[in-house]
Amino acid sequence: MISGATNKSIDIVRGRLIPGSYLMENFKSLTANQNLGLAMFNSFRNAIVITILTLLICSIAGYGFEIYHDKGKDLLMSILLLAMMLPFVALMIPLFTMFSKIGLVNSWMALVLPSISTPFMIMLFRQASRSFPVDIIEASRLEGMSEIAIFFRMYIPVMKSTYGAAMTVTFMNAWNNYLWPKVILQNNESITMPMLVANLKSGYSVDYGMLMLGVLICTLPTAVIFFCLQKSFSNGLTGAVK
Amino acid sequence: MQPKRKKMSLQKRHNLIGWAFLIPASLLIFIFCFYPMVQAILLSFKKGMGAAGVWNGIGNYTRILKDKTFRQCLFNTVFYFIIQVPIMLLLALILAQLLNNKDLKFKGLFRTMIFLPCATSLVSYSMIFKSLFAGDGFVNAILTHIGMQPVDWFQNAWAARFVIIIALIWRWTGYNMVFYLSGLQNIDSSIYEAARIDGANGIQQFFKMTIPLLKPTILLTAIMSTSGTLQLFDESVNLTAGGPGKSTMTLAHYIFNISFVETPKFNYAAALSVFILVCVAILSAIQMKVGDSRD
Amino acid sequence: MRRKLVSAILAATVVGSMIAAVPVAAESNDETLTVWCWDPNFNIYAMKQAEAAYQKDHPDFKLDIQENVYSDIETKLITAATSGDYSTLPDIFLMQDYSYHKDVTSFPDVFTDLTDSGIDFSSFSAGKLADSTVDGKNYGVPFDNGATIMAIRSDIVEEAGLTTDDFKDITWSQFMELAKTVKEKTGTPMLTTSGGSELVLEMLQSAGASPIVDGEVKIADNEVLAQAVEVYATLVKEGYMTEYTDWDQYIASMNNGDAAGVINGCWIMSSIQAAEDQSGNWTIVNMPALDDVEGATNYANCGGASWAVSSNCENTDLAFDFLKSTFAADVDLYDDLLVNAGAIASYLPAAESSVYQEASDFYGGQKVYADIVDFASQVPAFDCGAYYSDIRSALTDVVTNVVQNDADITSELQNAQDTVEFNIEG
Repeated sequence: MISGATNKSIDIVRGRLIPGSYLMENFKSLTANQNLGLAMFNSFRNAIVITILTLLICSIAGYGFEIYHDKGKDLLMSILLLAMMLPFVALMIPLFTMFSKIGLVNSWMALVLPSISTPFMIMLFRQASRSFPVDIIEASRLEGMSEIAIFFRMYIPVMKSTYGAAMTVTFMNAWNNYLWPKVILQNNESITMPMLVANLKSGYSVDYGMLMLGVLICTLPTAVIFFCLQKSFSNGLTGAVK
Repeated sequence: MQPKRKKMSLQKRHNLIGWAFLIPASLLIFIFCFYPMVQAILLSFKKGMGAAGVWNGIGNYTRILKDKTFRQCLFNTVFYFIIQVPIMLLLALILAQLLNNKDLKFKGLFRTMIFLPCATSLVSYSMIFKSLFAGDGFVNAILTHIGMQPVDWFQNAWAARFVIIIALIWRWTGYNMVFYLSGLQNIDSSIYEAARIDGANGIQQFFKMTIPLLKPTILLTAIMSTSGTLQLFDESVNLTAGGPGKSTMTLAHYIFNISFVETPKFNYAAALSVFILVCVAILSAIQMKVGDSRD
Repeated sequence: MRRKLVSAILAATVVGSMIAAVPVAAESNDETLTVWCWDPNFNIYAMKQAEAAYQKDHPDFKLDIQENVYSDIETKLITAATSGDYSTLPDIFLMQDYSYHKDVTSFPDVFTDLTDSGIDFSSFSAGKLADSTVDGKNYGVPFDNGATIMAIRSDIVEEAGLTTDDFKDITWSQFMELAKTVKEKTGTPMLTTSGGSELVLEMLQSAGASPIVDGEVKIADNEVLAQAVEVYATLVKEGYMTEYTDWDQYIASMNNGDAAGVINGCWIMSSIQAAEDQSGNWTIVNMPALDDVEGATNYANCGGASWAVSSNCENTDLAFDFLKSTFAADVDLYDDLLVNAGAIASYLPAAESSVYQEASDFYGGQKVYADIVDFASQVPAFDCGAYYSDIRSALTDVVTNVVQNDADITSELQNAQDTVEFNIEG
């Protein structure tokens, strides 16, 4: 793939695997054909905002589900899980109709709102909270900290590794999401990187050099974010706090 | 008397705060998932769309029983599920255990390489697999080299299903590994130290400690993979286009086709989706029953 | 303190982007039309040129061209139609010809009837026009030509002691003989295909037959169809044609010389021409005809698209006039599209222009464009009705099972008939 980005289209079709000298040409034709900067900006903006909101909303819910667990909350968790079991294809039209009724089609709210609370993320934090030491909470309560303060000041720093994993995955999913943004956002102005890559492949004759470069640029951010965050998976702080 | 009453009300307060913490997330899910979901379920009992829809009872469901394509797709989907999910989860666990080793060098690089497949865009992922398994591709070159017959990977039904399973494992193992890795961090490393001092070897540590301690995370990934595999769509569409014929097509791909590619039958598509929902719900309920105990 | 600062910055980012993302109302410029299409080198280029041409007389006119992959255009149309919210549709969109009947029948409210728009539909080739005509009403302005061609490598054929002329105006049985010679002398298969049922459907069309007879699906007991499937299976089994299920490998097989030729819609030429070092080695002829079928011809059609006007178009007069003065009148525009985008017109007067008479070096000095327009004019009209996609998918199964599993053609066709009938009744 990387060497593909440096080769001429016809060489790639013929299976050339060694790096070539067409990187700049491919980049030029890519930026001439597609609004690369805009797609990058949109993708980053969508993914960052969705990731921040998701982590906040889902982690506090997962915390609530586990730390204050009772029968009622366990039941609600099971019900929430149902939400991810219906194929999205079947949800898409009713969801579109709903946004159309409240006049939010083509709005950015319609893109973000359905994406920021997922049973998956809630459950991730719920399951991870099981290993969160209850002593810390008890001790903080004795010190007179409010419940919300315990969450922000005690829980979040301790659960760094879970947040790292959740952030990577949420960012990746938000970054790669294709169908819903495509359907709900109607303008060229809202193009994202996956849409740009899809456009590159849609013509009657495909420029493979340009395509490979587009794919490469589209993959880089997630890879970089993973590389940076994976360190947080290797030194969890649970022990340190104890 | 006084202190006891205060404690009771404190627990009640905590309970309420707990609910308050769940409300934003739950509310969003109810509005943006359950409302459309109810619409889809209603649709599955009707004939025709919107205002023109009339009640059709279980007509769309009895139709499922007569649908040969559905049977083929169900078989494919269940096959992927049974073969792929256990292999992938076990592999992810082993990798997580290995890459959690404190003394391993370049583990950041290894982790990134294993994670990278699920971060790559679908386009490049499918292109890589198609060329690897092409008639004169890399895999066949190896097969010929070790004296075996080359295989028409995408023209033979079983070979094509095999390619899909390999592709799925390649793509999603690293994804699951991330959760195991992060789960492992929340386990006190002193437990492992103690085990090592007691003379437990790597395999014993894996089965006696890693798996039990990661149980909550394993349950999570098991449910997610079940749900994901039964709704499998990308691989079927992009790698094989369901072919040869419909021998690798998944249920979700079939649902998409009857909604957006062939002459649209939304009511029937909704009924098929509800079928998937019920299947996943039953499987998840079993998994929850087995795995979600707080002991 | 530091943590507070961080959370403050995060909060500001979130709020900031929420505000920044307030939907921008579309410009309500009366002279602007929104267009959906998908290929920057082809139909998007065409729209840009048409815009420039129309701006000469209408300086305030503007197009807002939005690039959408075709399958997404259809998904968006269907989503809009089923939710009853047409406000998201563009004014004009390009639609693949094979989808017209299905979508006009299923979602009539998406389209604007163009019959009385003042566009002169008689100047388009009849076979092409039929695709976008439903119940006698016109729903599309034909754009690119999809006439079926057989492109062959003259150098490989000559190596086998044959000439490209041997392949002109022949039947499939004659083709088999020639392919046998090429295979024996050079070891190269005569054809490459991306699998599926396209070629079978093209054979069917070339014989003036159809899987729909009097509005009824007729896949089983359709002798012409059975013969077409048999020809296809023989080609693969004898090694005269190699199947590549993957489109990229299919293209590579042409560019690499793994096959001596290809049968497809004439739009495949842009992929062939990507191999610049093969210039002069290609020739275009018509496809072989089915043997012993009355009215069998050497001509068919595969692919191509037409411009549709959506029901969301407020300024239909402008849209009509724009299409009328460009894609249904402007020969200069088509000349430019041929030279710069390789788009071969289905607008008949365009073919009389001198540009179409020019010889092409890539095809060894052949006047390919004039030849293709000539092919297009002889294509028998073909109506697959609203169930074309279902039929195509069922026939793909037939072809796969017959070729891969040696299944019996008659019983496979019966299965396909059952599948399509099952789909229709639902």
